[in-house]
Amino acid sequence: MADTRTVMAGDRILAYATLAPSAFLLLLLAGVPTITVFLTAMQDVSMGDTSGPFIGLENFVWALAEPAFLTALWNTFVWVFGSVAIEMMLGLGLALLLNRNFMFRGAARAVILAPYLVPTVVAVLTWRYMLHDIVGIVNAALIGTGIIDGPLLWLNSRSLAMVSVIMVGVWKFFPFVVIAILGILQSIPQEQYEAAKIDGASSFQQFWRITLPYVMPVFLLTALLRTIWSFNKFEIIYLMTGGGPLDATTTLPVLVYLKAFADFEFGRAAAIAILTLAILCVLLAIYFFFIKRAEARQ
Amino acid sequence: MTTLVNTGDMPLRRNREMADVHYLTSRILFYLLVITAVSVIGFPLFWMLICSFKPGGELYATPPTFLPNVWTLQNYRDLFIQTNFLTYFRNSLIVAFGATFLSLIVGGLGAYSLSRFQFFGIAAFSNATLVCYMLPEVLIVLPLYIYVVKLGLADTLIALIIANTAFTLPLALWFMRSYFNAIPVSLEESAMIDGCTRLQAMMRVTVPLALPGIVSVGVFSFNHAWNEFLFALVFTSSESNKTLPLGLATWIGQDNIYSWGMLLASAVLITIPVILFYLLVQRKLVVGLAEGGTKGE
Repeated sequence: MADTRTVMAGDRILAYATLAPSAFLLLLLAGVPTITVFLTAMQDVSMGDTSGPFIGLENFVWALAEPAFLTALWNTFVWVFGSVAIEMMLGLGLALLLNRNFMFRGAARAVILAPYLVPTVVAVLTWRYMLHDIVGIVNAALIGTGIIDGPLLWLNSRSLAMVSVIMVGVWKFFPFVVIAILGILQSIPQEQYEAAKIDGASSFQQFWRITLPYVMPVFLLTALLRTIWSFNKFEIIYLMTGGGPLDATTTLPVLVYLKAFADFEFGRAAAIAILTLAILCVLLAIYFFFIKRAEARQ
Repeated sequence: MTTLVNTGDMPLRRNREMADVHYLTSRILFYLLVITAVSVIGFPLFWMLICSFKPGGELYATPPTFLPNVWTLQNYRDLFIQTNFLTYFRNSLIVAFGATFLSLIVGGLGAYSLSRFQFFGIAAFSNATLVCYMLPEVLIVLPLYIYVVKLGLADTLIALIIANTAFTLPLALWFMRSYFNAIPVSLEESAMIDGCTRLQAMMRVTVPLALPGIVSVGVFSFNHAWNEFLFALVFTSSESNKTLPLGLATWIGQDNIYSWGMLLASAVLITIPVILFYLLVQRKLVVGLAEGGTKGE
């Protein structure tokens, strides 16, 4: 491979010309905007404007002392860890289930993976109809079976709104975990299980000693990706509850949006956006530490 | 298992019967588990589909009817006659195809360069593209909104197409590079010995071989742009430029005015292109793998 690359390296102009459009677009759409966000975060932007006088780090100081920011930070942690933990467990369980041979496995797999393909707005719409306090099937089923006496306000009560949002998020995104883990499960050599059976290992021991060590690196990587994506997730929460009732489901991305496009405080919104990214980076560092340790143990 | 009875072949047979019973119960439990999982996970989509055929009265009935007493297409008819659904649908198609086309062309060229040439800063560039993919959408949307307003592109589909590539392009670059890497450079070189220029060799040899990968990247990009909500929400103000997710989100916000029937019917219709595309890729992927297999290394 190395020598063929040097052969190709002669054509310098073509190399740069083919890469230039990508580099230009990425610079325009990610590089420059990131710098702009930092600049905006250091400005005092008045209502309806997009720039203003420089005020240093005042917006960051404001955000860190602002109760709305701290509430959003807490909500983000509840949302991210609540949904990622359930997604990972459910995903692992269902991947193990789908890895076995049974009748109609193809159909079962299609149904279980379907929520991931469905557009978010469709998922939200369907669940909002199902969770509707008066005409929703969920309340009707719970009342019909006598589990509850009166309708529950799934999306309009402070205590239940986050539970509902997590439930819908898990339903929508857990198939990603199933796909990832199913892939690695199918690559485990079957001889290992046969050898273990001959040695008299129970099925729990086989899972613990063979399956889990194989799955672990992918499991952790999937958890990492799901954490990043959940952390940045905006539309599913915004469409389910709009961040409400009051601020019960306002996560950091939702707060950034509301600050920028409902209150039109661009400087403060930008400061919160940067803090969001910084917190995410700290989380990633912790995850990488654990992944490295798991790899070292292998 | 220890047995107290020690005469004849009794304990052996009993053990075997116990094993059969054990196997049968575990199998039944397994199927019950599968059926439960499938019905719980599949129920919302099933419910969306059958409720879209219910007449208005049944949609608001308490307790709701399970299967519709009367099946009707009224919701779908209302959707086309009373709302801008078709405009939204057209806009979504334009944005999704535009973004897909842009990221396939630009990303394809870039991925070719990253895969076939070696130059200064190549590793840094690859890592930078991955970082782009990790940036929070809400962080990017603030400055992009400022530019879009300043450039006079607010409330246009072009702004949406370009903004969508911020997330589809990094992925196109990464995936297509790995597909190109899998295709031996020697094939291109022999095409060039036969008289092709490098660009011709790329178009006639590398691209056709990488087609299954390119198609799946295309489907991913399409799906991303088809679903995209935040950029549409921030950039778009007029009714005639709304995409489907934005249009529907506005309807959900005013659920007193629009009926659940129309919402559910539109949900069904939005899902159809996504499913069609996945069926298409599935076949393409299988065909691609089969072709690769018969041709050998």
